[in-house]
Amino acid sequence: MTEVHDQLQDVFRDVFSDPSIILNEGMTAEDVDGWDSLTHINLIIAIEKRFGVKFATAEISRLKEDSANVGSLLQALTGKLQPSK
Amino acid sequence: MSLASPQFLLALLILATTFFYLPGLRLRQATLAVCNAGFLYLLIPNGASWLTLAAFLASGYATALLLRKWPSRTLLFAYLLVLVAGFLIVRKYDVVTIYLPDSILALGVSIVGLSYMLFRQIQFLVDTIEGQVDRVSWWGYLNFQLNFFMLLSGPIQRYQDFQAQWDRLDPVLEDGHAIRMAYFRLLLGLIKMTVVAAVFMSLYQQSAEILNLPLGTERQPGRLASIGHFLNILYCYPVYLYLNFSGYCDIVIAGASFVGLVLPENFDRPYVSRNVIDYWTRWHRTLGFWIRDYLFLPLYKGVAERWPQRAESLAFLCYFVAFFVAGIWHGPTTNFVIYGLLQAVGVSAAKLWERHLLKRRGRPGLREYMKSPRIRVAAIVATVNYECFSLLFFPVDVPTTIHMLGTVWRAFV
Repeated sequence: MTEVHDQLQDVFRDVFSDPSIILNEGMTAEDVDGWDSLTHINLIIAIEKRFGVKFATAEISRLKEDSANVGSLLQALTGKLQPSK
Repeated sequence: MSLASPQFLLALLILATTFFYLPGLRLRQATLAVCNAGFLYLLIPNGASWLTLAAFLASGYATALLLRKWPSRTLLFAYLLVLVAGFLIVRKYDVVTIYLPDSILALGVSIVGLSYMLFRQIQFLVDTIEGQVDRVSWWGYLNFQLNFFMLLSGPIQRYQDFQAQWDRLDPVLEDGHAIRMAYFRLLLGLIKMTVVAAVFMSLYQQSAEILNLPLGTERQPGRLASIGHFLNILYCYPVYLYLNFSGYCDIVIAGASFVGLVLPENFDRPYVSRNVIDYWTRWHRTLGFWIRDYLFLPLYKGVAERWPQRAESLAFLCYFVAFFVAGIWHGPTTNFVIYGLLQAVGVSAAKLWERHLLKRRGRPGLREYMKSPRIRVAAIVATVNYECFSLLFFPVDVPTTIHMLGTVWRAFV
């Protein structure tokens, strides 16, 4: 989990061009400068590439809802990584 | 039938007060299904329309079953092509009707709410092929597509969300206060639709009629009157549209809550949006999210994965494609294309401005800019006026809008 968290943090820093980002599970799009609909898709593409997973349209949409946060993203990601482990 | 008509409201109140006294899920589902069928019966004009609707529904369900067994993108794409072509024919878009024999057009096929059904169908099938729909049931699907609360003008709900509620139909209003608030919302929606919106529509119509007088008519307005009429057509129609549509949503969202259905909200104070991107997360939200998820997302994701270096620039092309489609979805005439393209221009301008600020001021500077109350007010005023301007093209055809603007212009030259 920590490894996934660290890798995800790297992806965030890369996509948002901000090396100071420290991820925590309660973070939402409001807390990360520039996390809008467009960068959300860029973020998902980068995550898919880094972790070799695929998100469905409905999942991508749900992860951008007001109630979603980094914790939801981590949960969705680890859920996808689990079966291959 | 109008949702603000006494007959509809009486039927809804009877349903609301008796629904949870009905014993058992099956009886509740059957009662709602009868209501859906009855509502539809009042709106479908002829046998050809019934047959077309049956083909639309049966083909969607059959395709979903096939996609669950064989998740083939080719099959989905082929079906969507046929579906969209059928939609263009039924809604009589010039791009297809010029190739059709008169005998087909003479059938008089008309299906109310088809635009919304089309978007629900696409969502249902895309989510099915991507494994996001756990269970597909013919009974649930039919009532999802024909649900009388969402039939006329949405909101656009996801199939899986509807199915989960349909499988329970439990009370969703927690206590007496929630029930009273739902009745209050119903009343508020009714007042918005029938009283306040009607006043603004009347103001718009009066001014539109005067600005639309033929050239050379003696009653041409003077300068001051022209300004007044221009302000009326610029602001009264958007206010009417907001009150009418949000009033409709108040009625259907409150009404649905009486029978255990939770419909998604469609409005979130759209007239405090600080740019057009923000506006589309507040105005007709379920349409905005549908466009984002099922048009823009696959389009942009596709190009960004293929050409990552050019993704930033290609995003603008995707905005234009997505809003062009959203524009023509509203109707088959050119004014809706212009409305859609104006939205794409607004979204692109907002994005370009943000990039410019980021380049010039950096992240901290942009953060400061976004926090400034004065800039926020200026941005809201600019966005409201831009959206009001774009809505000049919404209610009438392009020559009429140009004629009205020309009348105002001529008063000053």
